[in-house]
Amino acid sequence: MELHVTGMAAFEILLVEDSPGDVRLTREALKDAKMHINLHVVSDGIEAMALLNREGEYANVPRPDLILLDLNLPRKDGRQVLEEIKANPALMTIPIVILTTSASEEDVLRSYRLHANCYISKPVDLDGFLTVIKSIDNFWLSIVKLPHEPGL
Amino acid sequence: MEFLKWLVGSSGFMPHGYCYRWVPGLVWLHGISDSLIFLAYMSIPVTLMYIVRRRKNLAFNGTFVCFGVFIVACGLTHAMEVWNLWHAMYWLAGMIKAVTAAASVATAVLLVRLVPQAVGVPSAGELSGANARLIEQAAALSASEEKFRGLLEAAPDAMVIVDPGGFIELVNAQTERLFGYTRQELLGQSVDILVPKTLREGHGAHRHGFFAAPKVREMGKGLALYGLRKDGTEFPVEISLSPLETDTGTLALAAIRDGTQRRKAETRYRALLEAAPDAMVIVGSGGIIELVNAQTERLFGYAKQELLGQSVDILVPKSSREGHGAHRQGFFAAPKVREMGKGLALYGLRKDGSEFPVEISLSPLETDTGTLALAAIRDGTERRKAEAKYSALLEAAPDAMVVVNQAGEIILLNLQAEKRFGYYRDELLGQQVKNIIPVGFAERLIADGTRTAAEALIQQIGTGIELSARRKDGSEFPIEIMLSPLENAEGILVTAAIRDISVRKAAEEALRQSEERLRLVVSSVTDYAILMLDLDGCVVSWNEGAERIIGYRAEEIIGQHFSHFYLAEDIDKGKPVFELAEATSNGRSEDEGWRVRKDGSRFYANVVVTALYDETGRLRGFGKITRDITERRRSEEHLVKTAEDLKRSNDQLEQFAYVASHDLQEPLRMVASYTQLLARRYQGRLDSDADEFIAYAVDGCNRMQGLIRDLLAYSRSGSESKLLREISGETALDEALANLRVSIEESGATVTHDLLPDLTTDDTQLVQVLQNLIGNAIKYRGTAAPLVHVTATNNGGKEWIFAVRDNGLGIAPQYFERIFIIFQRLHGRQEFNGTGIGLAICKKIVERLGGRIWVESQLEKGSTFYFSLPESNGD
Repeated sequence: MELHVTGMAAFEILLVEDSPGDVRLTREALKDAKMHINLHVVSDGIEAMALLNREGEYANVPRPDLILLDLNLPRKDGRQVLEEIKANPALMTIPIVILTTSASEEDVLRSYRLHANCYISKPVDLDGFLTVIKSIDNFWLSIVKLPHEPGL
Repeated sequence: MEFLKWLVGSSGFMPHGYCYRWVPGLVWLHGISDSLIFLAYMSIPVTLMYIVRRRKNLAFNGTFVCFGVFIVACGLTHAMEVWNLWHAMYWLAGMIKAVTAAASVATAVLLVRLVPQAVGVPSAGELSGANARLIEQAAALSASEEKFRGLLEAAPDAMVIVDPGGFIELVNAQTERLFGYTRQELLGQSVDILVPKTLREGHGAHRHGFFAAPKVREMGKGLALYGLRKDGTEFPVEISLSPLETDTGTLALAAIRDGTQRRKAETRYRALLEAAPDAMVIVGSGGIIELVNAQTERLFGYAKQELLGQSVDILVPKSSREGHGAHRQGFFAAPKVREMGKGLALYGLRKDGSEFPVEISLSPLETDTGTLALAAIRDGTERRKAEAKYSALLEAAPDAMVVVNQAGEIILLNLQAEKRFGYYRDELLGQQVKNIIPVGFAERLIADGTRTAAEALIQQIGTGIELSARRKDGSEFPIEIMLSPLENAEGILVTAAIRDISVRKAAEEALRQSEERLRLVVSSVTDYAILMLDLDGCVVSWNEGAERIIGYRAEEIIGQHFSHFYLAEDIDKGKPVFELAEATSNGRSEDEGWRVRKDGSRFYANVVVTALYDETGRLRGFGKITRDITERRRSEEHLVKTAEDLKRSNDQLEQFAYVASHDLQEPLRMVASYTQLLARRYQGRLDSDADEFIAYAVDGCNRMQGLIRDLLAYSRSGSESKLLREISGETALDEALANLRVSIEESGATVTHDLLPDLTTDDTQLVQVLQNLIGNAIKYRGTAAPLVHVTATNNGGKEWIFAVRDNGLGIAPQYFERIFIIFQRLHGRQEFNGTGIGLAICKKIVERLGGRIWVESQLEKGSTFYFSLPESNGD
């Protein structure tokens, strides 16, 4: 069997974001990422859970290494998703970066309480936004060691 | 027998009838006439016999007998006539006639002899007169005899009349009773049988003495006499003798009394005398002591024998003897019971020469021998002492003391009385108490028809009676008198303690007035229900305000429990009870809550219950003040509601602003981001117009983003809950400056400050304010490097006035107000960046923290922005 060195292993990032604009911007920002990133996008909480639970169409989606979660989502709200993920032993170890327009202290506190790994307030300007995405990439995908759970 | 036969035989004679030829008329004429004569004749001697028998002492006795015989015989003769009509008993008849003749002759002879006497016999009239007189005398004599006898019989004493020989001539029934003899047994006996054997000799002598010089006397004066009864018992007697003159000589009338009782009485009397607690001395009119008792011996120190027969003067101190003699004479002249030496201090003289005060009462003693004086003598030492003590007490009493007798006269008073009433003592003594206490005192002493003086007094004893008194100068003053009785020999006196109560009265009046004022105040207050409750919580007093607020009238509610004003559920919870308990333990209980009026309507009340104590500190009841604050509460509630509405609307507004900004941000971000992307990606690849267009688009977006951001900040500022803590103004300033580091460096600004205080406020917000103001000061600089000075002064009104002074552009006065309005700018974007939100935010924050913000400025000189914050939060 041949070893294909296709480059480094790809990072699976799940982006839970309902604004297509922001999705596109995120994709743009991650284009310059060092690592190879597979970006999975779902636009609401239910889809997010379905994907994580590998239900239906998401049966073969790999387990994300990082989740970028918006709070204000239709159907199932991001806060609830956070709660559910962190309550699920199979999923709780996946780092979750809350990426939201809300800057309210309450949301911040609540998110950390629900064991979000970090909270980022989306900058309103482009550069800021790009920088933040890049920082996420730098930090979470380069500096930080992510857990790998066997069998999952 | 033969004789008899012969007497009654007719012997051949013919009866007289034949003489009459037996003519019936004639026969009967003779017969009846003779019969009648016979009857008449016979009746006369019968009558005469009757008289003779009745009058035994009839004189002329013989004459009458003869006459009687004569008549009888004569009558018989006539009887024979009749007989002889039918029977010729002439011999018998003749005999009878002969007798008759003899008798008649005798009678005639006697009668002749009586002539001189008969002539001398008084006539009937004289006789009856003499008779009558005789009868009168006899009657008078027998009457007086009767009276005498009656007296004698009726006498309570035994009366014995004795002749000079000592023989009993007469006794009465009492004598019989007393001595046990019958009358017959005594009459004619020697009186000695009534005298005990032992005394008979002496008695005889006495009798002789009496008859020698008879006069009324008491027998055996001073001796104890005894009588001897029939049964041999002796008993004491008292005997009075009086002579009785009769024609036969002088007799002695002895009245004899059983002396047993009197002897007993005497003994008892003597015993009484002996037993008397006082010394009893009996003195005769000559002043000689006749009798003393044991107490006298003890009191005066003499033996009885030493006193008897002495002049009573030996018991009297020498100095008093003269007056005493005069008194004694006065007493015997008009003897009556009296206290001796009234008003004087009397003294007695003991055997040992010592004198001591005495009280003496005299009473006359009637005896047969005259009046004696019985003196009861008491040692007056104790009483004199008590009197002295009493006087001293009286004098020392702080109150005016006055002693008044039954007649209403003042008989004693003390110094205080003199002073209070303004009189000298002798001016008041003897005066009517009415003169100093016009009304109310004298009346109380008087025994009216319904009660005695003692009873009247007892009714008044001990009570403090308020009266009005009059001084000598006529002024009156209020007094309180307390009465107590005082008994002495003269009757009941009244001691009155008189206290001047002018001061007390004034105080009472002042109190009454202040109470009156209080009552006026309480009653006139209509906005507050002021009531008093007793210890159980029942209403005791009620004012107008209570009636107005709660609805009950005083008479309806007094006596009711105050839980009437409470809602049923509060009563169940025990609220009224709790309020009283709290007032009792804490002194006071305050509550706000619903109460219910008389008509059932509710009102919101502020109720204060206060415990009331009396002067001894004991709980007496509760005072309750209720205020109807329904209106106030309503407006409070309204206020609260309004505030809530406001807050809600504010919240909604803020929420709206927030949400709006937040939600607006999102699409704005898209526009801004993609236009920027466009700008970046396609710069130079499109024509210049496109560049320009994109530039404007991006710029617009940026501005919009800035506005929204500021709006968001504005809406958020002050909406967060305040964290009021004691913070250091210095620290806040440092933080603000740290945030402005970049602009301070870039502008070369110098920020100075005075010492900033500590105060209670939200530190984040203070930082924000300082940051904005200092930021503005730096931003709106002139040509020179900005100099910013921050100070804080306390204005004494518990506020800190902060000041941020700069040397910048300054502000024209007409904009002083406008600059604090949101988004108002005085400069274009080209000149100065900014949205005009900073001061609006400052104003919002400062006002929310309880302060004010304003500016003073001069164009081109600089501006000073002031804001005040309360020292400790008063918001």
